[in-house]
Amino acid sequence: MPTADRQLTSVDRVVLKRVMDLVIPPDGDFPGAGGLGLAEQLERSSQRYGRLRSGLLSVLDAMSLDIASRIEGGFAALDEERQIAALKTVETNLPAQFGEFVELVYGNYYTDSRVHERIGWVGRPPQPEGFDLEPWDPAVLENMRKREPFWRQVG
Amino acid sequence: MTEEPTLHQNEQPVIAVDGLLPPDVVDILIVGAGASGAVVAWRLAQAGFSVVCLEQGRWVDPALYPTRDRNWEVLGRHEWNWDPNKRAAPVDYPVNDSESEITPLMFSAVGGSTIHWTAHAPRFHPSDFRVKTLDEVADDWPFTYDDLDPYYDLNDMMMGCAGISGDPAMPPRSPRPMPPLPLGEDGRHMAAAFERLGWHWWPSDNYVNSMPYGGREACNYCGPLGFGCTRKAKSSTDVNYWPEAIRLGAVLKTYSRVSEITVGNDGRATGAHYFDRAGNVHHQAARSVVMAGNGVGTPRLLLMSKSDAHPDGLINSTGLVGKNLMFHPYSITTGLIPGLSKTWKGPMGNILMSQEFYETDLRRDFVRGYAYQLNRGSGPLTTALGGAHEPVSWGGGHHEDFSERFGHNVILAGIGEDLPEEHNTVTLDERLTDSNGLPAPRINYRLCENSKRLLDHSVKSATQVLEEAGATRIMANPLLRSGGWHLMGTARMGEDPERSVVDGWCQAHDADNVFIVDGSVFVTAGAVNPTPTLQAIALRAADYIAHERDDLKG
Ligand SMILES: Cc1cc2nc3c(=O)[nH]c(=O)nc-3n(C[C@H](O)[C@H](O)[C@H](O)COP(=O)(O)OP(=O)(O)OC[C@H]3O[C@@H](n4cnc5c(N)ncnc54)[C@H](O)[C@@H]3O)c2cc1C
Repeated sequence: MPTADRQLTSVDRVVLKRVMDLVIPPDGDFPGAGGLGLAEQLERSSQRYGRLRSGLLSVLDAMSLDIASRIEGGFAALDEERQIAALKTVETNLPAQFGEFVELVYGNYYTDSRVHERIGWVGRPPQPEGFDLEPWDPAVLENMRKREPFWRQVG
Repeated sequence: MTEEPTLHQNEQPVIAVDGLLPPDVVDILIVGAGASGAVVAWRLAQAGFSVVCLEQGRWVDPALYPTRDRNWEVLGRHEWNWDPNKRAAPVDYPVNDSESEITPLMFSAVGGSTIHWTAHAPRFHPSDFRVKTLDEVADDWPFTYDDLDPYYDLNDMMMGCAGISGDPAMPPRSPRPMPPLPLGEDGRHMAAAFERLGWHWWPSDNYVNSMPYGGREACNYCGPLGFGCTRKAKSSTDVNYWPEAIRLGAVLKTYSRVSEITVGNDGRATGAHYFDRAGNVHHQAARSVVMAGNGVGTPRLLLMSKSDAHPDGLINSTGLVGKNLMFHPYSITTGLIPGLSKTWKGPMGNILMSQEFYETDLRRDFVRGYAYQLNRGSGPLTTALGGAHEPVSWGGGHHEDFSERFGHNVILAGIGEDLPEEHNTVTLDERLTDSNGLPAPRINYRLCENSKRLLDHSVKSATQVLEEAGATRIMANPLLRSGGWHLMGTARMGEDPERSVVDGWCQAHDADNVFIVDGSVFVTAGAVNPTPTLQAIALRAADYIAHERDDLKG
């Protein structure tokens, strides 16, 4: 369990950026979560929610303690296939913390205006503008109105 | 997702203590300012009673709801989470739900859980009040649908109901004050699929303004009803009943957490002890006490109120306080329909309802039944995190998985009737406490076999209609754990004082000046959302007090 005041090291930051790109990889010419430059923002936003911060630190600790101790050059030295395998091991061993980490990555990626544009989301909060819907049309009930009442009589 | 401060962090109440200063001894002391407490405050203030309501939460300024914040989806998962354990605000009490298959959800504020609710406003069926007679399960209620009908109508007017008459699944009833909300492209698409199978559907009744009503704006279809409505188009009791009740002289004290209902030597209630925001303890004396703390908060407070006259907790001579807890178990079946493209457009909940499988059918392997609510997709983050299902996969398949879901997902929520069982309970936790050191409620809840079979059936039928609608992928969650929106049964009503806590007028058998008006009194759960029913019951109880209990007026 990492301590709450643990700060990210420069090695952590390199790993984080890479891991973010593995979690949400590039999509054609559109960069992945790491390539979009969201790692710094993710680190800052994790300060706000203890649960997510602890997920981030646990995943980074697992990567550095476990992998760096076994492989020279650490996580960064692995090829992509082995990086993914390493991440899957963390997911299996620390499912809750890994879920929190993924929530943090998704939380930063899917609130980014460049991503919103890419996926066709309006890129603004729901209010105050709201959305348009076609007005209510009573004609849609034509068939249902023909059905006999079928609620159960209680006598 | 940024670390910047956001609007909601302003914790100041927009209105402080309301109304006049209360007299030393009030006629009616209400605990809880949510859906049911507001109703009673309004009706009894109107009838000339002096009314004080103690509410542990605060007023929330609608302008501070997260839907105007660009981080609205993140805030909804944390500060505005439906689960008090995740929100963890000092005005909430925590709930030990580790032994429950369903997590109870609620909000503590003026307006109570209606701040968060999605305002779906269906009525119980006549058969729901007669399940023992009809199906040999549970118990009949001490009144009928017809007894409640005028109170349903009154509540529909006060809350503002958008809907349309003529539903063949329900008895005929008065017209609603507003037409239904539009169905949207997804609603029309699914309605057609239900029709092709010959299954019932009808536009939902919603307490959401489809046109300006009650001095409030019309809905602009922004989507996430469950985070509070900045336009006040979604009805919650802080914007309808409470302003009226306060105008009529009711006094509402916020940040006032009741720790004990006090009693005299005769066992009748004399008032309540409560903590103010600074942690000071006060006593409010009263001629009668109306409990409106919801199906978890009310039994918790009754169990905390032990005395010589009520050694097992107030009005608990039967031992039934806290027993027979019912939620509505929900299944969630989501279809991904490539032909639809913007399913996040429009009010998130309750587009239409199907009651094809509502009533008991002996050919099935369960009694009673379930309804479907058609819900919409949501914003990008909520979609990525999966909602009721697994999150979008990480890694290589991520973008494909996301784009298959986003804007194409329609959700069929199967809401099942829960049967009352004494082993499903609210008790007091021995270790966990709230911010005043009071014991937190502990929930023990197991799904019964009937509910499991009913939910399985609901997933199968939902799959059938989603396939009919052209879904290319279907995801099913046969029991939504985080779905305890409806809290019922923990101080049930009945005519027999040996087998119930209150009578049909919500008056306690053990103390004639204690009333319970929230979902605790439900005998059975029906298979629709409970709030119009519990508000109608509260109005009926208030009318009983107004007409039959003049002795409670000072
Ligand atoms: C996210 C969500 C969506 C929902 N959607 C729907 C829907 O679409 N349709 C529907 O019918 N229902 C819905 N519900 C349920 C609905 O909100 C409740 O049925 C209804 O609000 C219950 O009313 P109540 O008066 O019993 O309790 P509440 O509205 O929960 O109010 C109880 C109040 O009592 C206060 N209280 C409790 N204990 C104390 C104490 N000791 N001292 C002082 N104050 C206390 C609480 O702070 C709270 O404000 C939803 C609920 C949630 C959480």
